[in-house]
Amino acid sequence: MLRHHLLSAYRNLKRNKTFSFINIGGLALGIAAFLFILQYIGIETGVNQFHENADRIYRVINVDKNGESWSELEPGFAARFVENFPEIEAASRKDNGITSGVVQNEENDLSFREADIHYVEGNFFEVFSFPILAGNASGLNEPNTVFISKSSALKYFGDSDPINQNLILHNQFGKTIYTVKGVYEDMSYNSDFDMDMAFSLETLKNEANLNGNGWANLNNLDSQFAQTILLLKSNTNVEQLEAKLTAYRESVSREDDGVSFKLQPLTEMHLGASLNDPLPTYGNIKYVYILGAIGLMILLIAWFNYVNLSTANSLKRSVEVGVRKAIGADQKSLLGQFLMQTALVNLIGFLVALVIIILCRPLFNEMIGKDLPLFAHLSPSVWLIGALALLLGTLISGVYAALVSTRFKTVETIKGLAKSGKSGSFLRKSLVVMQFGVSVALIFATVVIYSQLDYLRNKDLGVDAEQMLVIRGPAIYGDNFDSRRNAFLNELASQSMVEKYALSGAVPARFYNFRTNGFTHPGSKPDDKYNSYAFVCTEGEYFDTYGIPLKAGRTFTPEEVRVDWNSNSKVMINETALEYMGFESAQEAMLEGIQWDERHLDIIGVSADYHHLGLQSEIDPIIFYPQQYGQFFSVKLAKGDRKKQLASLGNLYRQYFPGNPFDYSFLEEDFAESLQAEQQYGLVFTTASVLAILIACLGLFGLTMYTVEARIKEIGVRKVLGASVASVVALLSKDFLILVVIALLLATPVTIYLMSNWLSDFPYAIEINGWMVAGVAILALMIAFITVSFQTLKGALMNPGTTLRNE
Amino acid sequence: MIKLNNISKYYPAGFGKTYVLRNISLEIGEGEFVSIMGPSGSGKSTLLHILGLLEAASEGEYLFMDSPVQKLNEKKRTELHRNAIGFVFQAYHLIDELTVYENIETPLLYKGMKSSERKSKVADILDRFNIVGKKDLFPSQLSGGQQQLVGVARAIVSEPKVIFADEPTGNLHSEQADDIMKLFKELNEKDGVTIVQVTHSEKNAAYGERIIKLKDGWLDV
Repeated sequence: MLRHHLLSAYRNLKRNKTFSFINIGGLALGIAAFLFILQYIGIETGVNQFHENADRIYRVINVDKNGESWSELEPGFAARFVENFPEIEAASRKDNGITSGVVQNEENDLSFREADIHYVEGNFFEVFSFPILAGNASGLNEPNTVFISKSSALKYFGDSDPINQNLILHNQFGKTIYTVKGVYEDMSYNSDFDMDMAFSLETLKNEANLNGNGWANLNNLDSQFAQTILLLKSNTNVEQLEAKLTAYRESVSREDDGVSFKLQPLTEMHLGASLNDPLPTYGNIKYVYILGAIGLMILLIAWFNYVNLSTANSLKRSVEVGVRKAIGADQKSLLGQFLMQTALVNLIGFLVALVIIILCRPLFNEMIGKDLPLFAHLSPSVWLIGALALLLGTLISGVYAALVSTRFKTVETIKGLAKSGKSGSFLRKSLVVMQFGVSVALIFATVVIYSQLDYLRNKDLGVDAEQMLVIRGPAIYGDNFDSRRNAFLNELASQSMVEKYALSGAVPARFYNFRTNGFTHPGSKPDDKYNSYAFVCTEGEYFDTYGIPLKAGRTFTPEEVRVDWNSNSKVMINETALEYMGFESAQEAMLEGIQWDERHLDIIGVSADYHHLGLQSEIDPIIFYPQQYGQFFSVKLAKGDRKKQLASLGNLYRQYFPGNPFDYSFLEEDFAESLQAEQQYGLVFTTASVLAILIACLGLFGLTMYTVEARIKEIGVRKVLGASVASVVALLSKDFLILVVIALLLATPVTIYLMSNWLSDFPYAIEINGWMVAGVAILALMIAFITVSFQTLKGALMNPGTTLRNE
Repeated sequence: MIKLNNISKYYPAGFGKTYVLRNISLEIGEGEFVSIMGPSGSGKSTLLHILGLLEAASEGEYLFMDSPVQKLNEKKRTELHRNAIGFVFQAYHLIDELTVYENIETPLLYKGMKSSERKSKVADILDRFNIVGKKDLFPSQLSGGQQQLVGVARAIVSEPKVIFADEPTGNLHSEQADDIMKLFKELNEKDGVTIVQVTHSEKNAAYGERIIKLKDGWLDV
């Protein structure tokens, strides 16, 4: 019997090619999208879960009175916590981005600028379970030791054994030599901590290794730069411990700032506990939910097609059902037969989906911004849920289609009197409305996302980003560094391709030197001293090079930037800072100056506002502080062959700063990179809306085909009575277009609400306008109309003589 | 074998009902060859469908092999379709996706017969009907007469007690029609199968032993 069912199903699919193509094609796309997204969700929910002690590891988070939270802690707390609270088994610190610099292997003269490197506690590889390939996990307890990833080992040492070899780290703490004591498996997509090298934090205990950076003292309770992770003993009451830690903080803190400690489980560090979890996370649970919903909706659209086309087709198959009943088939075997067909369609769809997955992996990886292997290692439960979802959908759509197809009374089918039920057609219409509702919503969202992206890309930043090359200054100094630097700068200035250049400690699109508060003047309000200002330490050419006009005053002179940090008494500010400080005018500010804690600073100039961090945040109040020799060389290039320009600048750079990697980027690209998240959204929504509308249109195409088939006699009669082709097409299309209009009416308000919500996160955003609504509506109607007209035209053009003939 | 007592069939129409069959009482014995005749709309097909358990009567009593049909559940009815009743349709109603062989085999499949037994039964029938050479063809590859031959083969493969045929030759040329009628005659005489057919043609009706005439839903005596 099973063979019989399979054979019938197979031959049926072969005979009804359009039906099969639409269903299998739609399901393949739907299942592929679903599996991709399932894999993504599986990976996202699996991040950090592999550590053996995952259930006992917590990250300490600061939460202030306003509910703002951040993970950087004063490093002095770690040891004190362990000492005072017996429920804490161990504390492990990891800096948050103070390590980056140039790493050098002197032996083979290899050096690279490294960003994903960190100082970590000696017990880091004991607390966490990153697989160690060489060396002993405890090896990092000694100062001046480093663990490196497998890739880094290959990068710096090639085939030779890296253990006990030396690496030199040149960063803000000067030049320090480290010995490689361990190699670990590359940290990958299953870990939030993703570092290429782990330097022993212990090294910074030695004052000599701080290079005058007193703030980095490991015992201090003043500057926040290290995440502190606690390994708790089993059965610790976390809430009580949080209270105790907060109380302890109050007892040792000098300021009463109302900050309390929260303990974030390692298992929630990636996505948080829920959508409303306010604590900082590495991942984005919202994105997981959105993608999950999109995947499910696309799959549903495909299943809706199956249900719709099967039920629309049921009339055609009713005779077969009637005959089978008459020769002895019971309901069970008929259901079995139809279910077998559903299973076959889904199975073939699944196999095609696997091919799609293999082919489309690069696109998918780009969408989620990760480099995933073909079939990532996921927990079995994820696959189980996926398999269950697929089975359930297959079963529900199959059983429904089977019930509809077998519900006819035998006698009616044999007499040719069977009619499609009203209820079935209502369901079909509802499903079409849902399909188009989802498609319209996705298209609308795509339009909004790209309009916003376009707006952000084209809005004037107030900075001349064109042809702006940003070169990282050298980190490896060597002998006679000052004279070599001056020689390099002279060479740079003499190049015809260099229009202007400037040295600064911070550049647009790349954060500031730092932020700080404590600025007042006689006219300021009491709370003004808590206002935080961004610092850009720079030489005077910065403004001219970046095309930032001055609103008042002047810029720094070469003499002023040479003054020692603590002796300096002159700053510049931007217009926003002027406003923050509460000055009436630039003149007033320049007359009065400003107080920074104990120091008085003269304001010598006010610059126009510009978007230092791009358009995703409001313009910050900035204080420009005179400092020479910042780490960024900003070079405004003349138009010309970029490759040649870069090559000759690179040669110059390497000639004067041997051993240093020539790292550069173009400011335009840096700004574009800051829109990466939005670009990802755009790509995801484009793909999703194309898929959704494609599958929905496949279904619509099939439905029209059946409708035209069922009404072919009516069409013939109408034509005989004098109906024009246009009027027949209009008659047939009308029913479907009404459904699309209903879908538009339902989906548009929901999408406007959701996308306005999304836009409200941007300080600079477009407004959703009538044109977008109208554009999406026209597009959806046009797509639907074109889809429908293939069949309606065919029907309308048919010769009534053929269609009305009784066979 | 078949006994109808005051069978009526009506459909609701507006506030009243439209009668298709009125007060039919008749008996058909085992081994009979009966033709039902009557003008279009006289209720012939409805009567045949009621006899064949495809449709239920609105009123009256129907005894099929001495058991009251109205009281049978779906399962028992399917049982009867599998074992006691065979159908032949005017439009043949072969299953398009199945070959000749498979079409004939299907009733046996539903009966739950073992594979080896099925093979020999189908082979016998193919042989008897002289269509062995056509066994792998699909219905669309056959002429009307050949299709109906397969239709009859399918009806008798499960060795039913009775065959109900609804204008079995309505779509055929007279030559083909004669062949089918001869086949019915042979089945009736040699195999003792009861045959009840609906027909328009006096000639075809003459193959049977008895004619039941219907007019406007009444038995026309």
